[in-house]
Amino acid sequence: MVPISAYLIVGVALFAIGTVGVLISRNLIVLLMSVELMLNSANLCLIAFSRSQNIMDGHAFVFLVLTIAAAEAAVGLAMVITLYRNRETINIDRFNLLKW
Amino acid sequence: MDFQLPPYDLKMMLPEIFLFLWALVVFTFDLLTNRKKETAIGYLTLVGILITGVLLAFTGYGRGFGNMFFNDPMARFFKIIFLGAAFMAVGSSFGILKQRIRNHRGEYFGLILLSTVGMMFLASSQELLSLYIGLELTTIPLFVLAAFYKDDKLSVEAGIKYFIVGAFSSALLLYGISFLYGMSGTTDIVQMKINLAITHLTFTNIGMTLVIAVVTMLAGIGYKLGLPPFHQWVPDVYEGSPTPVAAFLSIGSKAAGLVAFAKIFVNGLSAFHGPEMLPNDWGQLVALMAILAMVLGNTVAIWQTNIKRMLGYSSIAQAGYIMIGMVTMNVYGLSSVAFYMFAYMFANMGAFAIVTVFEDKTGSTQIASYRGLSKSAPGLSLTLAIFLLSLAGIPPLAGFLAKYYVFAAAVEKANSADSASWLYWLVGVGLITTVFSLYYYANIIKQMYFSREDSPYKIPVSAPAMMVIAICLIGVILFGVWPEPILQFAGDIPASFGFIAR
Amino acid sequence: MSLDLAIFVISALVAVFGATMMIFQRNPVASVLYLILSLVGQAVLYVQLGAAFVGAVLIIVYSGAILVLFLFVIMMLNLRSSADLGEPSPPVSRFVKYFVSCLIFLELSFIIRESLGAGSTTSAGIVTMADDSFGSVESVATLLFTRYLYPFELTSVLLLSAIVGAVIIARRATEDELPPQPEKAVGPISQKTNEGQE
Repeated sequence: MVPISAYLIVGVALFAIGTVGVLISRNLIVLLMSVELMLNSANLCLIAFSRSQNIMDGHAFVFLVLTIAAAEAAVGLAMVITLYRNRETINIDRFNLLKW
Repeated sequence: MDFQLPPYDLKMMLPEIFLFLWALVVFTFDLLTNRKKETAIGYLTLVGILITGVLLAFTGYGRGFGNMFFNDPMARFFKIIFLGAAFMAVGSSFGILKQRIRNHRGEYFGLILLSTVGMMFLASSQELLSLYIGLELTTIPLFVLAAFYKDDKLSVEAGIKYFIVGAFSSALLLYGISFLYGMSGTTDIVQMKINLAITHLTFTNIGMTLVIAVVTMLAGIGYKLGLPPFHQWVPDVYEGSPTPVAAFLSIGSKAAGLVAFAKIFVNGLSAFHGPEMLPNDWGQLVALMAILAMVLGNTVAIWQTNIKRMLGYSSIAQAGYIMIGMVTMNVYGLSSVAFYMFAYMFANMGAFAIVTVFEDKTGSTQIASYRGLSKSAPGLSLTLAIFLLSLAGIPPLAGFLAKYYVFAAAVEKANSADSASWLYWLVGVGLITTVFSLYYYANIIKQMYFSREDSPYKIPVSAPAMMVIAICLIGVILFGVWPEPILQFAGDIPASFGFIAR
Repeated sequence: MSLDLAIFVISALVAVFGATMMIFQRNPVASVLYLILSLVGQAVLYVQLGAAFVGAVLIIVYSGAILVLFLFVIMMLNLRSSADLGEPSPPVSRFVKYFVSCLIFLELSFIIRESLGAGSTTSAGIVTMADDSFGSVESVATLLFTRYLYPFELTSVLLLSAIVGAVIIARRATEDELPPQPEKAVGPISQKTNEGQE
């Protein structure tokens, strides 16, 4: 029998990896994917909690969160396209016009 | 399987539904009409916001859908703030209509309206899922609006920075929400309060898991409010985005973050504390963030040369003051937060409106270009001076009363409970940093009035912008001397949203 | 070691492996593929938790549509040179970031194990057998269309605003939207050309 806390630890691992990804990635697209990974780790935790109490609310929640993540990814990718068109790079080190 | 819908009453949602449909009308209007009458679409949007405000005044209090949508005094108060912010942002956009957003006018106004709809749904939500969706609906149009000048490198960069921060913070918030759901078994905030209180009695180490939830949610909401250490995006985004959008962001997204914070922390987690209702666990963390906000925002603003960046740092500091009121967790504190937001709305939107009008004419947002403005545009510079003094908290303006109430609430709480004496520190830091802030607000006034150069600019002000500036001016002065109606309205808030002060 | 535990360990390892490899790739296409791998692992975890429908939606919609969208954008932008992809960050700041993230992970795991130790609501494992309809399409649909109808409709408003926003940001200005170009010079130049032709 797998305890729920095991699933939560997997969720935490994915969350931490996603945070690392947001912090260290130089490539804007990998950064967006790391944010998606974080949202998915929250989804995993929701499903795990939903199973542990045998209620289905978590599933509806996850379904809607998937939709929201999709919408956010679409807007983010559109902005990446514009940024690339504008600046010819998606290396975030180059985005330093707005400074201190 | 029962297919029973929970009890609902769509009349409660009428303002939001109307505003959403009006956004669709704005999109269609831009599509179908030719572009000869350029400002018609702006006036259309303004009319829509006014009608929504009227509908809001006539919508009673009650539940809109099951446990998820409640129209209560707090919701109504904040909806008025959101509608006011949208009205003033749209009103000050008329100058950029003609030049910089020629091609996407309908979408610009439509996205502002959609973001406002999201804020209004957020204000009425009593449940974690609709709160999260409302927050996303608020911020996704704002990402797009911040990058709206697609040809301008600064604007696109501001948009992408805002997007990264916004997406990251919403992932953090969602993670925390998932733990709250897990610990309490429900997403309804009131039920969650009860369940958490019961579980707290049986399993004493639930606090540890809630620590994860609290920390991640604080990080998520801290990003939205701009509290340090999550404040890096604020000056960049304010500087890069179109000025009316920065104005709308500063009030709308801040108030949305406050509402989310109030619902989750002050309402949802309130039963989790000891019998004394002192937020000693998360309250001190928030107080630390507030102190950092006040200190950092006020000191870094001093050497800014760009007025939009300066207003960005000033808004970080103002967020710090507001959180003092939120942390006190008594009836007085929450009402003072609401009043502060209200007064801040007038002062900030007015200041941004003048900055927009100035930028439309001169193309510059440097403080140095405001030199000598008092001679060529005396009315405008006097109004800007009044708005800046209200932001600084000078009597008899509304900003002074706002700060006074927040500090008084904290002092009263510190007096009444011994373990809350750290609130004295908060008030002390607040007072000292208010004095600092006077320096950089007065610097602009000094540039306008006491500079040796003369400004060559005569600033024409279009009618809608004039209306916005006039409304803000009246608001700042009137509510500085006659705050009673707002205070009475704000006083209903804590009782109504389920806040139990023990 | 029961089959349950074996499946859990394998798919958890696959999920974490895919996520880790995703953030270290130079080539963004490889990152997307590793993320898809990780999502497949997570979908197996979902199914093991009884969420059959949501697991299937994760594969079909998330990996199959959203990540493919990422692939489209990567290929459209045609990134190859390291100027586009970015140099790795300097070793010190990288070490700090890894260290902080490891710390986050260890702390959170510790907290979870502490709080979900003996006597807590979620430590006992999945003791109740879920009935057959747990996680099925009908039960999710029933919830979405009765109790969660309002967030469902609200999400559709959000999708509308995301669509409008994404289209505006990404499109190029069409011919009639560009600022008016100065007219071509008519005069001596064209006359000279005419004379040259004749």
